[in-house]
Amino acid sequence: MKTFEEKWTAWLDGQLSGKELAEFESSLPDLAAAEAEKRDAQKLGAFLKEQLTTQAMSNEEFFSHQLHEWIARESAARHRSTSTWWTIPRLVWSGATALALFVITTVLLMSQHQPGEQSEYLTQILQSRVDPAANPNATISIFESKTDNKVTVLWTEGLQSLPADYAAK
Amino acid sequence: MQLRPLLLAAFLVLALSAVSADAAQAVWSGLVIAENVPQPAPIPPELTGLEQTLKDLFGYNQFEVIGQSNKTLKTGQEDWLANSKYFGLHVDARGENDSGYSLNLKLYKESDVLLETDANLSKSSPLVIKGPQVGSGQLLLVLVVKDDEQAHRRRHAEPANPITTAWQRLRRAIHNALP
Repeated sequence: MKTFEEKWTAWLDGQLSGKELAEFESSLPDLAAAEAEKRDAQKLGAFLKEQLTTQAMSNEEFFSHQLHEWIARESAARHRSTSTWWTIPRLVWSGATALALFVITTVLLMSQHQPGEQSEYLTQILQSRVDPAANPNATISIFESKTDNKVTVLWTEGLQSLPADYAAK
Repeated sequence: MQLRPLLLAAFLVLALSAVSADAAQAVWSGLVIAENVPQPAPIPPELTGLEQTLKDLFGYNQFEVIGQSNKTLKTGQEDWLANSKYFGLHVDARGENDSGYSLNLKLYKESDVLLETDANLSKSSPLVIKGPQVGSGQLLLVLVVKDDEQAHRRRHAEPANPITTAWQRLRRAIHNALP
């Protein structure tokens, strides 16, 4: 069983017919006023339909505009990111230059350490002297032991010999 | 962004461990009489690491310490004396460098200077000086840079720091790689 509101809506939309239409119209207290209201409602419906169609068009344009703006922003961002100084060729050149500098520095540092030069990890005798008056024939030589503990030896010859008493603690 | 403080902390740990590894060191200086005897006494503990080298170099079978000094260096500018009854070894440290200590050594026989030497004593290379013949033996002067006893004990008591160990292995590898 339809309510009055449902029958009214169907009548406004022109969906009632036959016996149902006749019964509904006979139930209306003022058919003329109801007909006037029906015409107004139909006018409003036609107007809204027209407006909604226009709105749909403008939405399409709006989205299109938004899409264009987004593409423009993306292009600008891509352009900005590619316009940095660190381009791929420059990165390659920078790497090659750094490597070359490293090699040159290493070679220079290595060449400063001459093969005959004493290593800084060995004890170095800078100078050595004995009293020439007391030890006129004294000689001094320096060498490194061949053993693992890298002993540096200062070897004197010709120092004056001393009696055994001097070995006392 | 959290990587930067981590790297900084790691760098500080490395730097501190490297500094602490080098901080406490002592120079052992000894007057040693080397001679050949029928029944040689055991070598003094300070010379244990050098026993074979000393025997090979000088051909003696006994090494007796007649005077010694174990000086812990803090500034690298200290001076000290290792004395026996007749000999004195005066060591004047004149600064520390990358590889060790710059030293001036004077061997005295009573008040006479027998020998004077300027040397850069490396932390990894002992110095042995052949002195005069004394009776049937030979006077030797031995200088060795050692880890300070307390630091040595502390290092052995504590578990090894893996970063320090890695750092020292790297340093050793670089040292060995250098000609």
